[in-house]
Amino acid sequence: MSEQPVLRVQSVSKRFGGVHALENVSLELNPGEVLALAGDNGAGKSTLIKIISGVHQPDEGQIFYDGAEVNFENPHKAREQGIETIYQDLALADNLDVGANVFLGREPLKRMFGLPVLDRKRMRNEAAEALRVLDIRINRFDLPLRSLSGGQRQAVAIGRAIHWKAKVLIMDEPTAALGVPEQRKVIALIKSLKQSGVGVIFISHNLVDIFAVSDRIVVLRRGQKVGETATQATNSDEIVRWMVGG
Amino acid sequence: MASIPLDDTVSERTTWASSVRVWVASMRAWIFFFALVIGFEVWARMEYHTTFLLNPFNASSIAVFAVGPLLLALGQTFVVISGGIDLSVGFTMGFAAVVFSKILNATTGAVWDPLAFLLAAAVALLASAIPGLINGLLIAKLRIPPFIGTLGMYGVARGTAYLLAGGTTVPISNPLVSFIGNGSLFSVPITVLVTVVITGAMMFLLSQSRFGQHVYAIGGSRQASLRAGINVARNTVALYVLSALTAGIGGILYTARFTAGAAQAGEPLLLDSIAAVVIGGASLFGGSGTITGTVIGALIIAIIQYGLVFVNVEPFWQFVAVGIVIIISVLVDQTQKQLSGGRSDE
Amino acid sequence: MKSWHIKAGLFASLLSAFAGWSDYAYAAGKKYTIALIPGLTTDAFYITMHKGAQVAADALGVDLVFQGAPEFNPVQQVPVLNAIIGRKPDAILIAPTDKEQLVSPLKKAVDSGIPVITVDTFIGNGRYQTGTGEADFPLSYIASDNIQGGVIAAKALAKAIGEKGKVYVSNVKPNISTTDQREQGFKDEMKKYPNITVLETQFNDDDANKAAAQFQSVYARNPDLAGVFGANLFSATGAANGAKQANAQGKVKVVAFDAPQSIVSDIKAGNIDIAIAQHPAEIGFYGVVTAYAHLIGQSVPPLIGTGFTVIDKSNVDDPNVKRFIYSD
Ligand SMILES: Nc1ncnc2c1ncn2[C@@H]1O[C@H](COP(=O)(O)OP(=O)(O)OP(=O)(O)O)[C@@H](O)[C@H]1O
Ligand SMILES: [Mg+2]
Repeated sequence: MSEQPVLRVQSVSKRFGGVHALENVSLELNPGEVLALAGDNGAGKSTLIKIISGVHQPDEGQIFYDGAEVNFENPHKAREQGIETIYQDLALADNLDVGANVFLGREPLKRMFGLPVLDRKRMRNEAAEALRVLDIRINRFDLPLRSLSGGQRQAVAIGRAIHWKAKVLIMDEPTAALGVPEQRKVIALIKSLKQSGVGVIFISHNLVDIFAVSDRIVVLRRGQKVGETATQATNSDEIVRWMVGG
Repeated sequence: MASIPLDDTVSERTTWASSVRVWVASMRAWIFFFALVIGFEVWARMEYHTTFLLNPFNASSIAVFAVGPLLLALGQTFVVISGGIDLSVGFTMGFAAVVFSKILNATTGAVWDPLAFLLAAAVALLASAIPGLINGLLIAKLRIPPFIGTLGMYGVARGTAYLLAGGTTVPISNPLVSFIGNGSLFSVPITVLVTVVITGAMMFLLSQSRFGQHVYAIGGSRQASLRAGINVARNTVALYVLSALTAGIGGILYTARFTAGAAQAGEPLLLDSIAAVVIGGASLFGGSGTITGTVIGALIIAIIQYGLVFVNVEPFWQFVAVGIVIIISVLVDQTQKQLSGGRSDE
Repeated sequence: MKSWHIKAGLFASLLSAFAGWSDYAYAAGKKYTIALIPGLTTDAFYITMHKGAQVAADALGVDLVFQGAPEFNPVQQVPVLNAIIGRKPDAILIAPTDKEQLVSPLKKAVDSGIPVITVDTFIGNGRYQTGTGEADFPLSYIASDNIQGGVIAAKALAKAIGEKGKVYVSNVKPNISTTDQREQGFKDEMKKYPNITVLETQFNDDDANKAAAQFQSVYARNPDLAGVFGANLFSATGAANGAKQANAQGKVKVVAFDAPQSIVSDIKAGNIDIAIAQHPAEIGFYGVVTAYAHLIGQSVPPLIGTGFTVIDKSNVDDPNVKRFIYSD
């Protein structure tokens, strides 16, 4: 694994009106690394990842991606470059099948009688391939997503990122809406992503999850970075102390 | 690496029995359709010793009857799948009918008949696109709820049509146009042939094109579509324009058939068109529906109304019967939602 | 309802005295303003009524105000009425859009001293100045006698089909006073023809497409169908198109009630065999004249029935007939 970070956030600040959502925050993410973002409600975690994924633009500071400075006007631009974000609500179309969701907005076309038509077979096969790489089994690819379980849906969202060759995958509270068994599956998924060299930023309020999966932990409080440590070198007490301040 | 078993929860939901239930729910339009046809056939044979089904005159009458509501319903299907509704189609149809008659009257005699027809049809279609465009912009850009936006357009299109028509029906006299409206090719009415071609095009657009796929995605989750980089606003405008265009075609065919354009031509068809979409399996919550279903829905409504006259049932029952079918369809839609999703596409 | 007569004598004397009375009005320094509120403003029938009213207003030196709602519905008509009452005209002519819902709004007009005359449609039961009921306060009801219209339609259709065969009425929907009366007059008259059978009425919701399909369905079961009476425009043009689609044009006679412009080409093309034209201009004319008569102190009849003209291929180009086509 190369030691050059895939993503570097440099002294980023963001204000909403009078609120300092982020102040002078910096961090780095290496390929194949899982970075956990911890912090109390309103600490600025979502704001930080929204800046990385192009939803917001920073007021101050820079973002370097693959060694070069980037300035994403919108999430679409970030995705094109390989920064995929999985939101807590997953952003899936529940009425469409797995293939359609993996290819949502980027559907492949083929020619039929000279007319461009959707290449559904390719969508299905490549979606299946992406999930196979992650070692996920879904036995029915023709059903709408709403008939899948929460963990399977999470898998589809991750599979989509994999298929589009994400180098950075951002997950905002991916386990929050899931039951305990499904939380475990998602943790397992993140581990398998890590193996394939993807850099993962992972927001969670659940310290058990954070310790189970992350390599490094960054703690935010009131928009400021108050702590950073290798996961092995710390424990929950220290993280909680950083989070609440004291 | 250990395999991650993710299919345990789903296995319980996709048992054989529930698959059958999902299938029945998704096939409801066809089931209604065949039940109706067979019902009327039995009734006609028992009461009147005559056939309903095997009389080609009945088939062709029902097909012609279904043309107007179906054309409105085709565009409406896209709108409903996207999670919207278009209440203005009836008067967009009337507006197109009046524009078509006016232009046709101005050009007939001055130019070659087919050219007059093409000119009038082109202008009428362009004119009908305007209310659709405004609907789309109101809904996509100003985020006005479709119900309100298109209700406003209902009034505007209606007033404009009446003003243009000067409060009366506008008679036309272009032999080619009345042939299109009332003639047959290979003993199939031309209006039906035109509608079949347009239905085919709509089926292709909805089930095979990227646009169609995005209509489903927007109806399924607007948020997901936005995040996936789909241009939701542009697609929304396009689908309301499409709805207005099929209504415009309806207006042109109406004028050709009755050799007069009327502002109120489409008014009574609005509810039938929405009913056809719903009976055809689309959910008013958005995200599901098919053109095939809508065609069956339109035929079901036509068959009920035609058939009840044929077997000489008291007229009031027609309203009751159509109402019952709609209610059953919506109930099935609700149940289906609880069971699982509908079909994702054609 | 048998007492429908044009009070021809009264109006003859009234007309002969026009000049003198209008001089009288001018002499008294008073120019009357009469408001005409139609059922809806966008309909050729009411537009033609307006023209007739204008002729009378010009002849009498009266100011005529024409204001109404774009749709036939009380919710939209009542605000227009209230605005008119606010302007205090000397009399109001109105085609009420509901028998019951217009009663108290119109009572307000009368209470503020504005006499009311209803044209084309009525409130209550249409019998005014009887001293009974809540809705007898308008001075007069001026309209086509729709029952008589139905009778005329029946006679014309019976003649066209050789007084035998099956016929039916294509109608809008039940409980509209005018179309109900047309159907009633038609059916009553048809009882006089023993060889004519009247089939079940078909209601089409004012949808020509549905009226056409109903024709085809009735025809499919009754290939010996001889005639249809379309009780309003779309009922008739719909049935006519059904006949055309069924290749029964000419074989099944179609009688239409009402005569807008499009009826001319329908008659010429053979889509419609006979049209019964009402005389809306006459209604408007007598409306203004009646109001004027009241304003200058004359008594007026509570009910005035205006006439009909039967139009078919043979007379459609006759100028004496053509003037009864509603114009916009
Ligand atoms: N679009 C916005 N407009 C105004 N203020 C905002 C906006 N987004 C976030 N904020 C504010 O910025 C601060 C940081 O919010 P953020 O959503 O980043 O917190 P968080 O760490 O994700 O919290 P949680 O754990 O509750 O999700 C909060 O005070 C929040 O109210
Ligand atoms: Mg957050």
